[in-house]
Amino acid sequence: MGSILGHILNGLSFGSVLFLLASGLTLTFGLMRTVNLAHGAFFALGGYIALDVLRRTDRYWFSLLVAILAATLVGVLFERLALHRVLGKELPQILITVGFAFLIADLLLAYYGGRPQSPPRPPGLDGVLRLENFAFPHFRLALIVVAVVVWLGLHLLITRTKIGAMVRASVDDEPIARSVGVKVPAIFATVFGAGTALAAFAGVWGGAFTGLQPGSEWQILLLALVVVVVGGLGSVGGALIAALAVGLLDEFGKWLFPSFALFTLYAPVAVLLAIRPQGFFGKEELT
Amino acid sequence: MSAVNADARNRLLLRVALLAVGIALVAAPYVVSSFQIGVLSRIAVFALFGLAFNIVFGAGGMPSLGHAAFFGLGGYIIGIGTVRLDAGIITVFVLALVLGAVLGAIVGVLTLRSHGVYVLLLTLAVAQALWGLAFQQVRWTRGDNGIAGIERSLIVPGDATLVTFYWAVLAVVAIFGALVWWFQRSPAGVAIVAHRESASRLAALGYRVSAYRIGAFTVSGAVAAIAGVLYASLNRFVGPENLAWTMSAEVMLFAIVGGAAFFAGPIVGAAAIVTLEVWVSGFTDRWLAVLGLTYILTMLFMPQGILGLVDDRRRAWRARRDGREAAATSANASDALTGSGGMS
Repeated sequence: MGSILGHILNGLSFGSVLFLLASGLTLTFGLMRTVNLAHGAFFALGGYIALDVLRRTDRYWFSLLVAILAATLVGVLFERLALHRVLGKELPQILITVGFAFLIADLLLAYYGGRPQSPPRPPGLDGVLRLENFAFPHFRLALIVVAVVVWLGLHLLITRTKIGAMVRASVDDEPIARSVGVKVPAIFATVFGAGTALAAFAGVWGGAFTGLQPGSEWQILLLALVVVVVGGLGSVGGALIAALAVGLLDEFGKWLFPSFALFTLYAPVAVLLAIRPQGFFGKEELT
Repeated sequence: MSAVNADARNRLLLRVALLAVGIALVAAPYVVSSFQIGVLSRIAVFALFGLAFNIVFGAGGMPSLGHAAFFGLGGYIIGIGTVRLDAGIITVFVLALVLGAVLGAIVGVLTLRSHGVYVLLLTLAVAQALWGLAFQQVRWTRGDNGIAGIERSLIVPGDATLVTFYWAVLAVVAIFGALVWWFQRSPAGVAIVAHRESASRLAALGYRVSAYRIGAFTVSGAVAAIAGVLYASLNRFVGPENLAWTMSAEVMLFAIVGGAAFFAGPIVGAAAIVTLEVWVSGFTDRWLAVLGLTYILTMLFMPQGILGLVDDRRRAWRARRDGREAAATSANASDALTGSGGMS
């Protein structure tokens, strides 16, 4: 019984990492209609920068902050300098993000080498929860809590604040939003930056869970893409449910039928996209 | 000089140029080094892959990010077929054509209700599912290690040297390239282009749009699988990386760099990217970073591709020669696909 509970909690905590990535991905898609394939690169960038600063200063929370700020800065610059020039053109946006991801990944490889490494767990969360014969790390529980908190925060931000209203307006009808005075380009940059910050955070905390090595950012990005698609492109709540589901599916797939785990993850997504392209919680496209 | 005369002369020039390129390619082994023959073989294989891809992408207007599925499928057919099951080359080619076409038809059916970025995600998911099988069905595919030891001599009648293998690849690419050319000029091929321009008008004319979408993926899948067979025998190896989505992204880059709106676009693109890779790899290990920059710069500054630029120049030159009337019609003709963000 304990092992099943362990697998469930493992799946949920991995799902939480996926949600942290997917929430940023789904926001930028909802807003800019682009699948940002560079999102995984920001995950890796955050993780590696945090490791680097931590080795130099030995201050955990400071390095976490530096990593998030640095990745966000790179993200916003990238959005302003490259991505924004092809606004509204889906295909060029996608290929530019692919190119940017290659660029970042290769520079990280050149600078930090190809050896797998992983950022440490945050101090204070090193403990293990023990219930009779069952043990589970505090850190993984904290990941689940953080995912729920981030979801709640984003949900309140989007539905209850003026900024959220401006974001929703820009998503639903960009020309009208512009005409009533919403600075849509600024909203784009802000949302992109927020998504990048979440990805960098996921890189530091999730990296402590999944490890960092060249290519791993693509694995996790593709899983996050699955989450975004299943949850419905643009839906943050859908992303949370889908992320936890995909996390569980991934965990149980690897445990129960390891030689089909990847197939059983991607094939249903293809079928779902064929039948219901907008995902489970996405809005119908008005085209 | 009349315009008709000039057109006829241009066509003749084009044919002479094509013939010259063909002769140069066939005669290349007598001139260049064996390393360069290997590079030329790779360009030829990628050119065929790009031509297959562009049936769906450039002509059909459907942005597939899953064409590695067909390419890798072909690779695994020759890998599993010859190394493990001892099949002959004819069986391999027939199987690649049939299974590539079947997989293409399945993908085509799946994408019937999707547009734009959803086509991209769907094809990506299909390719990733197959990649997962290749990665995890170790009993058949040997997983991450891949299948090594694919014989080049299978494709070459007689002695298999680097040069005869190159000629064999060139012949296969020429045959299937010509078939793609013929297909794109057939009524079905023209209908696929019409589907890109306006699916609803095509439907209003009484065409069964879905049949042409499926047809585009079917033909594309079959030819891409053949390219995959060639690629695996060129490398004497097939592994999950043949199926990886980066391969799908690269073939899309070939088409765009060369000019997706042109038949020869993927050929030019493959030649340009492979040449760039060989050149860059000569002095740095950072090829992937350069490739990333290539993606970004191409999309920002040259979305219509090399042939698009050439075409613009030619039109501008002709317009200056013919006066103002021609200038009016030349604008905006070549940015049909990537320039205006048109994804169906």
